[in-house]
Amino acid sequence: MTTPVPGYDCTIDELMVVAFSQAMSNDTRAFNGAVSFIPVCGYMLARRTHAPELVWAASSIAVDADPDEIGDSTLSDSLWGGASMLSNSPFDFWAFAQGARYNTFAFRGAQMDACGNVNNTVIGPYDAPKVRLPGGGGMADLGAMIPRIYLWSSTHDPRTFVDQLHFRSGIGWGDGGDHRERMGMPGGPQLCITNLCVFDFEPASKRMRLASLHPGVTAEQVQEATGFEVLMPDGEIPTTAQPTDEELHILRTEVDPTSARLREF
Amino acid sequence: MSKVTTLEQAAASIPDGSTVAIGGLSMNSAPMALVRELVRQKKKDLDLVAIVAGMAVDWLVAGGCVRRVMAGLVSFEGLGLAPNFRAAVQSGQVAIEEYSEHLLICRLQAQSCNLPFMPTKAGLGTDVLGLHAESGAVREEKDGPTGEHYVACTRLPVDVALVHAHEADDRGTTRVNPKLVWMDNEIVNAATRTVASVERVVGTEAFTAEPERTTYPRFMIDAVAPAPQGAYPCSCFPDYGHDSEFFMEYSQATRGRETFTQFFQERVAGPETWEDFLAVNNVATGAFA
Repeated sequence: MTTPVPGYDCTIDELMVVAFSQAMSNDTRAFNGAVSFIPVCGYMLARRTHAPELVWAASSIAVDADPDEIGDSTLSDSLWGGASMLSNSPFDFWAFAQGARYNTFAFRGAQMDACGNVNNTVIGPYDAPKVRLPGGGGMADLGAMIPRIYLWSSTHDPRTFVDQLHFRSGIGWGDGGDHRERMGMPGGPQLCITNLCVFDFEPASKRMRLASLHPGVTAEQVQEATGFEVLMPDGEIPTTAQPTDEELHILRTEVDPTSARLREF
Repeated sequence: MSKVTTLEQAAASIPDGSTVAIGGLSMNSAPMALVRELVRQKKKDLDLVAIVAGMAVDWLVAGGCVRRVMAGLVSFEGLGLAPNFRAAVQSGQVAIEEYSEHLLICRLQAQSCNLPFMPTKAGLGTDVLGLHAESGAVREEKDGPTGEHYVACTRLPVDVALVHAHEADDRGTTRVNPKLVWMDNEIVNAATRTVASVERVVGTEAFTAEPERTTYPRFMIDAVAPAPQGAYPCSCFPDYGHDSEFFMEYSQATRGRETFTQFFQERVAGPETWEDFLAVNNVATGAFA
């Protein structure tokens, strides 16, 4: 279920897709993993609006895919219509990822911490888990390789945004500060887009900082929904930009006419 | 001698306790007909290697065939967690050896290339490496001359790889058509033996006419088991897609122990032949005609 955004003629999933899209640019070269409906919509929307040169490899396989609709899997061939190239294998992809020819990747997890590290492996102790989750997949790999990492969450609450991960499956800014740089990793997390707000990362500590609030949400609410201290920006906190009519129209009619993105809500 | 065999014989050639690598990626191109036959033959104590998997691992766990899972990811993606895998790991019935995609790929590559290790930056700064501290199977190191951090991924021996492909001849030359192999080449190259299930067996002339389109040379494929729709309920691009309906019904059935036992018997393990299995699941195929 998703909710309307007060004062904006759209719902929260649409606001998140548009916020994601607006963070993309003509030099974005992206690919996607499993259960990544918000980023997939974001790449397709950006390409149809302000970033026509953006590169997106659907499922990390299909370069320039332009599917008529998004199915129930973001790793499936149903996403590959209109591609200019199907890779032989995801193996072709690893060289592009390790060399940062692909520069943009988005991931989410059951838990996220202040530095944008992610857990998708276990809830509870590793040896006796309360919930065994799917595992890190490509997160542990790509977190270390890709310079522009984007995080998102449709469940902004203290269970998701935690002070201590139960397991670090994928690295964001690691221990914060210059940790990534010391490890020889490029860039790091840029934004975390949630159903309440957008975080960026404070440049010195590399901890999440409120970048904008969605309409109707207060900074206090964000803090209450977050299990670590949320850093506040200097001055007034902006409101997340209103999607244009054009963005909403393209998202609803061309990018995701069947609302596959709601699978994340 | 012809390498063409049956699913039953191919599965029978795999002893209990083997390390079995399973091809495909998530809902795509998994060798489900071969996996089902392992379940039917009640294999025991298998160590599975699965880079990104779902239903294949869940069937084998449900069938009580698995001792240990070495995987980067096991799930049904947007359709949920892999229920039997999840329950078996939580209860400790099945051991998990934790990897990421690329850590596992690099271990397979070290094995393929007969190198002590393959380096990668994958996994740096995560908790995955700490889980391997004792075995040293994947370990963080620093390159002396440059001071760069990397992870050394040691060899991973695999007894048999199971992959699904479109066509093979009776000598084992095999083609994925058009060319998408997911990461199956990594497990084929690492494994001592490979069994390929195929949509169809074709004459050698189909390969000699277009040798540039061959995927695996015949010396890498040890047995060819015909299995039309052999990846069902996973996809086999571009011939057929995954069957979401099956995934959902399967997940739903796991909500009760008895319901699932019945579902698994009726819809997965019970049907005697692959043809029977497809009929029970209403999968249309002209290939048996």
